[in-house]
Amino acid sequence: MAATVQKIPAEERLFSLVLALLATDGGLTKREILSTVQGYRQRYTVAGDNASLERQFERDKDDLRELGIPLETIDSPGDPGNNQNLRYLIPRGSYELPADIRFTPQETTLLGLAALVWREGSLSADARRALLKLRSLGITATEPLLGYAPRLSLRDAAFTPLNAALEKHLLVAFEYLKPGETAARARLVAPLALFQHQGRWHLFAEEPDSKLTKTFLLRRIVSAVTVTSTPFPAPPPGQGERAIAELDTVWNANLATVEVEAGSDAAARLGTRRGSTVTANGELELHYADANILADELAGFGPEIAVISPSALRDAVIARLQRTAADHG
Amino acid sequence: MAEPKAPKLAGDKLAFLLSLVPYLMDQGRVTVAEAAAHFGVPQEQLREAVRLISVSGVPGETATYQHGDLFDIAWDDFEVRDEIVLTHNVAIDESPRFSGREAAALIAGLNYLAALPEHADSAAGSALMSKLARGASASPTQLAVEVSQTNATLALIRESVAAGVQLQFDYLNARGGRETRRVDPLRIDAVDADWYLRGWCHSREALRTFRLDHISNATVTTDAIVRRADDVLLSDRLFEASSDDLVVTIEVAPGALPLLAEYEPELAAPSPAAPSPTEPTEPTSRVRVIVRVSHFHGLKRLAASMNGTVTVLSPPQARQTVKDWADAALSRYTVL
Repeated sequence: MAATVQKIPAEERLFSLVLALLATDGGLTKREILSTVQGYRQRYTVAGDNASLERQFERDKDDLRELGIPLETIDSPGDPGNNQNLRYLIPRGSYELPADIRFTPQETTLLGLAALVWREGSLSADARRALLKLRSLGITATEPLLGYAPRLSLRDAAFTPLNAALEKHLLVAFEYLKPGETAARARLVAPLALFQHQGRWHLFAEEPDSKLTKTFLLRRIVSAVTVTSTPFPAPPPGQGERAIAELDTVWNANLATVEVEAGSDAAARLGTRRGSTVTANGELELHYADANILADELAGFGPEIAVISPSALRDAVIARLQRTAADHG
Repeated sequence: MAEPKAPKLAGDKLAFLLSLVPYLMDQGRVTVAEAAAHFGVPQEQLREAVRLISVSGVPGETATYQHGDLFDIAWDDFEVRDEIVLTHNVAIDESPRFSGREAAALIAGLNYLAALPEHADSAAGSALMSKLARGASASPTQLAVEVSQTNATLALIRESVAAGVQLQFDYLNARGGRETRRVDPLRIDAVDADWYLRGWCHSREALRTFRLDHISNATVTTDAIVRRADDVLLSDRLFEASSDDLVVTIEVAPGALPLLAEYEPELAAPSPAAPSPTEPTEPTSRVRVIVRVSHFHGLKRLAASMNGTVTVLSPPQARQTVKDWADAALSRYTVL
């Protein structure tokens, strides 16, 4: 017996755990799981110390929850609060995809593209698993007439920890360099949503004391993000849409007027931007959310543009060009 | 399509097992080849999963995994004919729900793609999103993405692909010139807010990538296309490297390095003799990297838009191109 303790692969142990917890109606105690479920029972000792096996079980529970598998516990009615009598189960209704949720071949194609969008960065594992579940339904996607390869880049290191904190409703701490300021400041906020606006990722968050909401540009988070263990109440749905609407209000209120060389790269990119208009004398009016970010972008267009107003934006672009000229002189 | 990769993590393998079982139940009988193609995995990975399923089950009343407590498959069909038939199921009846994060990723992806012609029916799109939210085991995490704007050129590209004919258009190239191109359209790539056409360019006799917003006067011709998407392997790299590429050394603030990812920068060997153009008061230590470009015109735009963070060091001609670009821009303001 001792010589035949075979190594059970992790996926076999996890699969057996899910099967056992789905099959039970009244739940299983930790002792029942450790002593009977494949992958645990081989390492369980009846009279001995099972501390390392218990730690394994704790990690496995986290792994299942991480995958979105609804693992629940029932307190023992006669002995509430006693961890040894806690019963574990996966309720079928919360685990199984409801029978009325099915997808057409066209919908399957679209969802395949939607998953492809995330192939770079920290959401790629979630998107890949979502595709597996979609394929589980057996629908064959329709081949689109014209192939698409859409991609959202997630180059901001802050994205992964912020997304985790968002899901678990935990406060986050980081250093933020506000556009236009020279020194970063420490922030402690409740993350409400991550959203992309005009090609840039933003965090929409609430300050715990003042209850004021703030929008942060991920690119300007200059420290590592610390996910604290302080929870906050889950916000109502639609925070991302609310954040985009708030930023759009700022964006609509800010208007810059620039001269743009006709037929140039700047004309192609700025002229097609949402809300851009050409005035009677051929100048381009465009909206923006942040003057410093727009100044960076406009400086990149070099002589293809000249800022007319506002004057602060004009000065900011000139200062950037002088710096570039000096650095390359 | 690239060779499918095997998932590395136990969590991924578990998700695969939990997805494969309902699929096999639904199919009744399916070949290994067909199932592997459906899931986009190597055939051997699928066989391994079937073997694992066939010995798995629940502890059962005796808590000893008796025969009736385990999945079973038709072994002859599996071993002789490479076909899968589940003959006994346990515990699993249905496909799993999406996790909150998975549903959020799909919903945000659909939002991003809402401008595609395939997506034209927005009511169907929002019905699909609400189905995803209902099919999740937790409410989707709050992730939002704006619709990526595209233009009328996309419709013409689709028209030319449907008819199997070449597309002709005027193209604004990176040097600022305009030229007429004839292209067999192969694929549309979108990266964040930018849309690109990948195609076989008849004017250049080569694969080329075109920015959609640099295309004007597009017309659908009557000349049949020569290359189809199936004939050509397109990588994710929008612009292929060439042996004629110019090697440029740049200095960059470490935090800004990820923003240069599309240039695929390589760390440069430190060379103390190189000029140090940055102010000595600059406290951050900078990284020296090498990038390969077909010309300096993209780089001058990059350096000017990331001033203070990116500085071109060599060759001198590249530095001069950036300097000229900034000087020309400054000259527009002297009269104001």
